[in-house]
Amino acid sequence: MKIRKTSLLFFLGPALFVVALFYIIPLFLSVYISFTPMVDWNVNRYLTQFIGLQNYERLFHIVMYDPDMRAVVITTVVFVLVTLVINVFGGLLLALATYFMDEKMSAAYQGLWLLPRMTPIAVYSLLWYYFFHSSGIGILNSILLKLHLIDHPIALGLDPKYLPWGAWFIIIFVNGLVGVSYGMIIFYSAFKSIPKELIIAARVDGASTTRIIRHILLPLTKWHFTFVMVWQMFSLLMTYAQTFLLVEWRVVDSTWGQTWALYVFRTAFTTTKDQGLAAAASTFLSIIGIVLGIIALKALGYEKMILEPKGDI
Amino acid sequence: MVSIRLDKVTKRFGKVVAVNNVSLEIEDGKLYVLLGPSGGGKTTTLYLIAGIYKPTSGRIYFNEKDVTDLTPAERNVGLVFQNYALYPHMKVYDNIAFPLRLRKEPKSKIDSKVHEVAKFLRIENLLDRYPHQLSGGQQQRVALARALVKEPSVLLLDEPLSNLDALLRVYIRAELKRMQQDLGITSVYVTHDQSEALAIADKIVVINKGIIQQEGTPEQIYENPRNVFVATFIGNPPMNIVKGTVLEDGTIETTGSRLTPPPAVLEKIKRLKLKNILMAFRPENAVVSEHPMEGRFSPMGDLFEVEPLGRDAVVTVTVGEFVIKVVMPTREAMQLRIGSKVHVNIDPSTIKYFDPNTELNLEYIEA
Ligand SMILES: Nc1ncnc2c1ncn2[C@@H]1O[C@H](COP(=O)(O)OP(=O)(O)OP(=O)(O)O)[C@@H](O)[C@H]1O
Ligand SMILES: [Mg+2]
Repeated sequence: MKIRKTSLLFFLGPALFVVALFYIIPLFLSVYISFTPMVDWNVNRYLTQFIGLQNYERLFHIVMYDPDMRAVVITTVVFVLVTLVINVFGGLLLALATYFMDEKMSAAYQGLWLLPRMTPIAVYSLLWYYFFHSSGIGILNSILLKLHLIDHPIALGLDPKYLPWGAWFIIIFVNGLVGVSYGMIIFYSAFKSIPKELIIAARVDGASTTRIIRHILLPLTKWHFTFVMVWQMFSLLMTYAQTFLLVEWRVVDSTWGQTWALYVFRTAFTTTKDQGLAAAASTFLSIIGIVLGIIALKALGYEKMILEPKGDI
Repeated sequence: MVSIRLDKVTKRFGKVVAVNNVSLEIEDGKLYVLLGPSGGGKTTTLYLIAGIYKPTSGRIYFNEKDVTDLTPAERNVGLVFQNYALYPHMKVYDNIAFPLRLRKEPKSKIDSKVHEVAKFLRIENLLDRYPHQLSGGQQQRVALARALVKEPSVLLLDEPLSNLDALLRVYIRAELKRMQQDLGITSVYVTHDQSEALAIADKIVVINKGIIQQEGTPEQIYENPRNVFVATFIGNPPMNIVKGTVLEDGTIETTGSRLTPPPAVLEKIKRLKLKNILMAFRPENAVVSEHPMEGRFSPMGDLFEVEPLGRDAVVTVTVGEFVIKVVMPTREAMQLRIGSKVHVNIDPSTIKYFDPNTELNLEYIEA
C-alpha cells in the first residue's frame, strides 16, 4: 500500500508541530545558549555574542575546585543510583505482590501506590514538608519525641550533624515513593500478559511460587526490566521539581540536597541567573544521560530483542 | 495403574456453575474423552482432576485415595494444553527437563530421561531449538514429551489437536491413541470435535452446561443417544429430529405420513401418556427417492439441496416444517431434481423415540 505524502503530513503534522515547538526548538536553543555569555535573561544583549566553549571551561573549573559543586556531583550519583534501585526493585516487588493477589485487592493496593503520582507535585511536596519539618510540628519529629528517641526536634535535612545522609535520605525517600508506581504498573501488566497456561503448566510441573517467579515471570519480562531501568534512570537524572520545593522551603540543605538537574534550574532561574553556565551544565547532563542510556541498553542486550526474529509458526 | 473417581463434584466461579454435581469413574489405563460444546465445562473438569482448581464441593479420588486437597505436583499428572504452553524462553531440552529439575533429580538421570522420551516421540533432533522455531505439530509433541517425562499417573489433554490442520489432526490422533495404549496410561482427553472423540475414545463423556449428558462407549453414544442434546451433537451431520402426534390407534402421524412404532415403544408412550413424540434417525439410515420404498417409513417433502462430498452426498429435504439431511451415494443423489417432490425412506428399526417434555430417549426411561 502506498501512502501519499500529503495525507501523511495531514495526520502527522499537528504532532510534529508540537514536538518541534516544545522539544526540538528548546533543545537547540539551550545548546545554543550554552555558547553565549547570557545572564539575567538579557536576550537582546547576549544572544548574538558567541563565546565558544567558555561556559564549559567554567563549568569544568567549578566542578574541579568548588567543594559545593563537588557535593552536587556526589549527591547526583548517590541520588540516581539509590533511587533507581529502589524504584526498579520496589516496583518489581509491588508488581509481584499484586500479581499473586486476587483482582480486587491488587487494584486497591495499586491505587494506593499510585496516589503520590496522582497528587500534584506541590501538594505532595507540602506533605513531606510537614513530615520532615525541623520544628516540633514536623510529624517525624513529633513521633520521635513521643517515642522518646530524641529530646528536642531535629533538622534531619539541614543540621550539619546529619549531612549529607539526612538530606540524601529525604530526597531519595520522597522521589523513591513517587517512582515505584511506574515500575509496578509496567511489570504488573507485563506479568499479566504472560499466558495463564504457562503459570498453570509450571504449577503442574511442580514449581513453587518462588520458582515460578524465578523461572517464568522474571525471564519473560527481561525487556520490561531493561526498559524501566533505562527510563527511570533518565527521569531521575532530569527530575528536580520535588527536590526544588524541599530546598526552597528549607527542608533539605541546598548543597547536599541539590542534584545536577536542580543545580541547572537554580543557576538559570534563582541563584546566579547565569543562563550560559546553566545551559552548558544542562547540555553536559544530556550527554551523560545519553551515554549512560546507550551503555545500559548495550549491557542488557536490548539490540538483540529488536533484531531477534520472532517466527510465529 | 490409576483409576479416577469424581464424587458429586461441583465447581462455581461466582454465579457461574461451571461443573454441576458431576460423578464419574475413569477406569485404569483407559482413554476417556470429555466431549461437549464451548463453555460446557470440559476444561474446568480437567483442571479439577489435575488439581489446578479446588472443587466447591465434592471429592476426587485416585485409586480410592482422596486427592482433593493435593497439589497438581503431588497428584503427579501430566497436562497438555491447547496452546501447548511451552516455556518460550527455554529450549526444547529445558522445557522437557523442567519438571525433573524441579524434582531435583540427578543431572545424568534427567538427561537420560529427556532423551528417552524425545526418542519415543521422535523429537530428538529438535532438542536444541526454541519453541518458536517449531511447527505446530512439533510443538504439540514437545508439550506431550514434557507431560510424559514425569511418568505421570494420569495424562490430561485439553484440546491438544485443535491448533493443527485437518490432515495432521487425523494423523496425530491415531498416533496419540497408539501411544496411550502402548503406555497403558489412564488418560482424559478434552475435545469439542465429535469425530475426534468417536475415533479415539474408549469411553466418551458428553458434557454440556456443566452436567454429564451421557457416558458410554463411542458405539453406545452414537447408536443410542440418551437425550436430544447428544443426538444432535454427535454425528456429521447429526441425527434428524421429527416431531409426531400420537393417534388413538397407537400410530404416529407426522407431516401426513403414518408409522406404527415397535410394541415396547408404544407401551412406554401409553404409560407416559404422551400426546406428541420426537423421532430421531441418522442421516445414513434413510434414502431419498422419487417413490416410496417398501418396508420403510416414507414421509414426503421437497428436495432442497444436494452436496456431493466424493463417494457420498448430503441431501437436504424439507418435510413440512422439518429440515432433514440424508447421506446417500452421490451417484443416486445426482439423479434427483432440486425442487421436486421426493420421499425420505427411513429404516424404521433405526428410529429412536424421545419424550418431548424431558427430551430423554424412551429406551433410557425405566420401564
Ligand atoms: N476462571 C474462571 N473464572 C470464571 N468463570 C470461568 C472460569 N473458567 C471457566 N469459567 C466459566 O465456566 C464455564 C465452563 O468453562 P470451561 O472453560 O470449562 O468450558 P470448556 O468446555 O472448556 O469450553 P471451551 O470448549 O470453550 O474450552 C464457562 O461458562 C466459563 O465462562
Ligand atoms: Mg476449554
